[in-house]
Amino acid sequence: MHLLLHFCQWLCHTSLGTAIRESTYVYPIIETIHTLATVLLVGTVVIVDLRLLGLLLKREPVSQIAGQLLPWTWLGFIIMLVTGLLLFWAEAEKMYGNPAFRIKLLLLLLAGLNPLIFHFTIYRRVSTWELAPVTPTRAKAAAFLSLTLWSGIIITGRAIAYFH
Amino acid sequence: MSFLHLFRWFSHTWLSCTMRDSTWGFAIVEVGHLLALAILGGTILTLDLRLLGLGLKRQPAASVAQAVYPLLLGSLTLMVVSGVLLVATDPMKYYESGPFRIKILLLVIGIVVHFVIQIKTAKNKTEVIPVWTRGAAILSLLLWLGVGVAGRAIGLV
Repeated sequence: MHLLLHFCQWLCHTSLGTAIRESTYVYPIIETIHTLATVLLVGTVVIVDLRLLGLLLKREPVSQIAGQLLPWTWLGFIIMLVTGLLLFWAEAEKMYGNPAFRIKLLLLLLAGLNPLIFHFTIYRRVSTWELAPVTPTRAKAAAFLSLTLWSGIIITGRAIAYFH
Repeated sequence: MSFLHLFRWFSHTWLSCTMRDSTWGFAIVEVGHLLALAILGGTILTLDLRLLGLGLKRQPAASVAQAVYPLLLGSLTLMVVSGVLLVATDPMKYYESGPFRIKILLLVIGIVVHFVIQIKTAKNKTEVIPVWTRGAAILSLLLWLGVGVAGRAIGLV
């Protein structure tokens, strides 16, 4: 994909990309925010997933747990997206060739598709099962997949530096 | 025994030598530290937000506290164990690291503050969150943010 490579090369050599990359403090600060905001995004997802797996707050309706926590997840996601884009912008050419980064992006895509599918299928009927003693298998599968994908994203995210 | 003696002793243990000589030891343990961090952060956030009237507002604070307690204990244990293993790779380097010392100080205070509000909230049978608990929740969030930033700074300084 030569076009994509050229785009990445152009991107990281723009004045913004260069400024971030060559600054003493800006890149480490953005990167620190990116690493710590993971806690906001993944931490809240973990609580919702554990509820779906019936492992905590079992007597609370799933829609209430998800409905009250997911706005915070979205806040975390926005912070991760903005900081992630800036980090990518500064190092686009290196990221293009980085296998850990590529796998991380793929996992992110899947981590986005999983709740989308979940939301438009089994979750549509949530009022029928949200107080049941055992959550439906498909809901549990979505939760398990979510935990696995986000773990993979954290791992590959950390691995990026090893391939830099 | 001073901290200097403790860290020096630690650097001569079998554990420290094994971690130092291992090619992938640090990387694998660090990944465990990060995964446990996501969980720990989630439990701390969930409780502290609830005490500030945010997040799981519709659930009684005591229920939220009781629900996250096992997760808090488990993830914190993993953090401490993985943290000790990470320090084992080069104890003297961490002993001399300013950010590391700040991190441990904030960590100890953070654990005390958070466990006080955790235990008090789990026993709170009323719907009322005392003002001091709200203040403690904000303090907790700030302390743990500090632990995170200091932890990240270890690798940067």
